[in-house]
Amino acid sequence: MASGGGGGDGEPEFQIAPMIDVLLVLLIFFMSIATSSVARYDPSIQVPVAPDSNKKDDSEGELVFNIAWHANDRLATTTYEEQVVVPADTVPTLMARKKANSQARVLIRADAATPVRHVQAVVEAAAKAGINDVTFATVAR
Amino acid sequence: MRVPVQSQNPDVGFQIAPMIDVVFVILVFFMALAAQIRIEQILQTKLPGVAVASTSTGFFDEQILQIAEDGEVTLNDEIFDAPDVHDLPQLTNTLGQLKASSDAAKTKLVVTLISHPDSAYERTIEVLNALAAAGVTNVTFTATEEEP
Repeated sequence: MASGGGGGDGEPEFQIAPMIDVLLVLLIFFMSIATSSVARYDPSIQVPVAPDSNKKDDSEGELVFNIAWHANDRLATTTYEEQVVVPADTVPTLMARKKANSQARVLIRADAATPVRHVQAVVEAAAKAGINDVTFATVAR
Repeated sequence: MRVPVQSQNPDVGFQIAPMIDVVFVILVFFMALAAQIRIEQILQTKLPGVAVASTSTGFFDEQILQIAEDGEVTLNDEIFDAPDVHDLPQLTNTLGQLKASSDAAKTKLVVTLISHPDSAYERTIEVLNALAAAGVTNVTFTATEEEP
């Protein structure tokens, strides 16, 4: 009976081409994770836990507000587009964004210990700008 | 002067080894970057809008949820769960029942959330999480005016 093939004689050699294929796939995968939207997120903010929150589908039209709470100074810093802002002053900008993109929505990333008044100020600014889609960033655990 | 001979074959060709070195370095960089990324999720809310309705609006069932400064949660002036209970089981259960009864009566359940300005944002998110767990999607906020 003829045995199954396996090819020629000797041990198989190390193939460089498939290794490069795998390497490039891994590279593209990790590059895609580190998207440009990550740059808009302040990594120092510890967002609150909400096990029943939803997975985010896309980041289109997302207007990100980062609210950092400095417990020692009892001071909150609100940043929008990498600039420290007073939420009420962002209303014209938000209105312009809403006009340009009807799908615009506000994403609030705030430290868990932040007093709600600072979050309410951003919600109020969104409401004044006509953006009624407000989302809160959380982690599942 | 004697000119040194470079090599027998000056056409070196494509070198695979340095390319793999560079690809490995880039790969390690992005892997390290990816390790620091926390996957975030969202809690969605819709603020009351000013859209003009083309048809008549039906009745809706409004419930008032309040969060005190110390984190005490009240639903229609009734206290639910202690301030140190983070998963709010009593509130989630009650909201689930309210949602079920609203669905059965074919009315829209609207919850108005009133958080004390000095309460922790984390507590508001815990309440929003309870609303999400109960399937309540119509949530409105009220902002307290600053005292002069």
